[in-house]
Amino acid sequence: MSTKTSYLDRLQDSFGLDTDNEWPSVVRERLVAYGLLGLYVFVVWFPIYYIFITSLKPSGAVINLPVTFFPTEPTISNYVEIFANRPFELYTFNSLVVASVTTVVVVSLGTVSGYTFSRYDFLGNKALLLSIVAARMIPPIALIVPFFAIMSDPPLVGGLTGSLYDTKVALILTYTFFNLPFAVWIMKNYFDGVPESLDEQAKVDGCSTWEGFVKIILPVAKPGIAATAILAFIFSWNEFVFALVLTSSEQAQTLPIAVSLFVADDFVDWAHLAAGGMIAALPGILFGLFFQRYIVSGLTQGAVKE
Amino acid sequence: MSTSSQGIRRTLDRLFVPLTLGPTLLWIAAIIVYPTLQLFWSSLFFVDPITGQRSFVGLANFTDLLLGDGPFGVLNAEFANFTWNTIVYVGFSVSISFLLGLGIATLLDKDLKGRGWLRTAVIVPWILPYVMSGLMWRWMFQTQYGAINAVLLRLDVIAERIAFLSDGTLAMMALIIADVWVFTPFIIIILLAGLQNVPEQLYDAAEVDGASRWSRFWNVTYPFLKPSILVALTIRIIFDIRALDLVWVMTQGGPGKATEVWASWLYRTAMVFNTPGQGAALGVVLLAVTFAIVAVLYSVFGESPYET
Repeated sequence: MSTKTSYLDRLQDSFGLDTDNEWPSVVRERLVAYGLLGLYVFVVWFPIYYIFITSLKPSGAVINLPVTFFPTEPTISNYVEIFANRPFELYTFNSLVVASVTTVVVVSLGTVSGYTFSRYDFLGNKALLLSIVAARMIPPIALIVPFFAIMSDPPLVGGLTGSLYDTKVALILTYTFFNLPFAVWIMKNYFDGVPESLDEQAKVDGCSTWEGFVKIILPVAKPGIAATAILAFIFSWNEFVFALVLTSSEQAQTLPIAVSLFVADDFVDWAHLAAGGMIAALPGILFGLFFQRYIVSGLTQGAVKE
Repeated sequence: MSTSSQGIRRTLDRLFVPLTLGPTLLWIAAIIVYPTLQLFWSSLFFVDPITGQRSFVGLANFTDLLLGDGPFGVLNAEFANFTWNTIVYVGFSVSISFLLGLGIATLLDKDLKGRGWLRTAVIVPWILPYVMSGLMWRWMFQTQYGAINAVLLRLDVIAERIAFLSDGTLAMMALIIADVWVFTPFIIIILLAGLQNVPEQLYDAAEVDGASRWSRFWNVTYPFLKPSILVALTIRIIFDIRALDLVWVMTQGGPGKATEVWASWLYRTAMVFNTPGQGAALGVVLLAVTFAIVAVLYSVFGESPYET
């Protein structure tokens, strides 16, 4: 009897229960919740697991039957081979450059503009803000025709730069288009949550508007900036359609394109594709594991205003 | 000396708004307004795919795109077909992922230990490159070596392997499953944020009043959740209409034209068939439909989540 009680106590503790009379309907409810969530997580992660073990199978063993769900002789040869046989280091480099530069541009412009939209009531303030929201609604794919034309023959600067087609610059400019309106929005909502008394305090202390912004406001805004940066990076890292339209060689092609290149008409090189796919997916998985909090806060700031 | 630096400081302060907004607005004008105008402009031209000759055709691209002798005697049959595919794809993916996301968000809203980890585990599919997810699902559905056939065979659910991606209906179903897999996390995050705004006391009060689970959801949760639902649905629907990645790498619109949707059709017309005029016309239609959907959703719900 006493052992049973202590077992129940332990169980109650492990479910975070603090009073006896919550038992047992709450515990039952929680067990059901854990069960359902566990099932969901299992189903959701199974495809990722399957492509991961595929990437560890020797490339010939991928087409052995019956299908195995545990690699019998795991190998990293697929990973080695994609770097040896294809310019995967270039694709990775392109992805890194494009995503990082885009992130820097988007975060800097988004932060200062977001702050001004949050604090200043000037003529046309609302109209400008609304047009930024509207810009977010423009379906990017609708614009592949003009983007292709503009990057092939840039207006105004065309004589200086020549065609931007198949350059990283084209992708950086394009990805800014996706991300800047979103960043302005996240940062505006973030600054709305920062008390204005901080700005006033800075003014009282003799800071100019710029000094106050840089010294007082920016440090407070770090979590918002992190959220914006992570989302901008992930979006640019993952983007496929415009990379497909605007690039044609490894001097600008990014990892999503590189992965799609394993599909040749009807034949697919699955083992190597799986390895390439895992490399392309790595930042997402890492960001998800370590910065989930920022992703969630960025998304909710960007989507639902609170 | 000090007065002149004071002067510079004051001038810089006066210019704070233009200096902080100027670059962003210029950028947006150059990268959004100009291409959008260009889109309308190029939709009025026909470009010969072989010679590259450009000729002004007015609204002919639009009439070709929309009108013909299909359903109702006026609609272009192809347009009607791809529109129907888009409606099926978007309708099923959005409603399934919405219901699933609502369920999971409700579970995650409970005060569970390890909630942070569960949330991490749940969010990951959305952060992976869509191309990799699409190809991953193509591999899952592969006839000979795919995991789905292997599992179903081993569980004796089926006796023969199913060629999922060679059958129109099954291919559409496969696309929808992949789409639900990718975008349910987004719904979960947005709805979870909404659920966490519901004041705890209201639940307690409802419980004291003996309200049923359903009436608790309808009278307590739903009013607080409404803005999140609106945002989740709007962004989901818009994104699905314009998303090409999954469709293109999983089925390329096939087999036949069974999974051809607006986005893949636009890409095909503009880039594969090399007829940018027609692609641009379809782009204009897509733009108009997107804004119409946004307008309808917002007017139905009677409020804008973008409170400015």
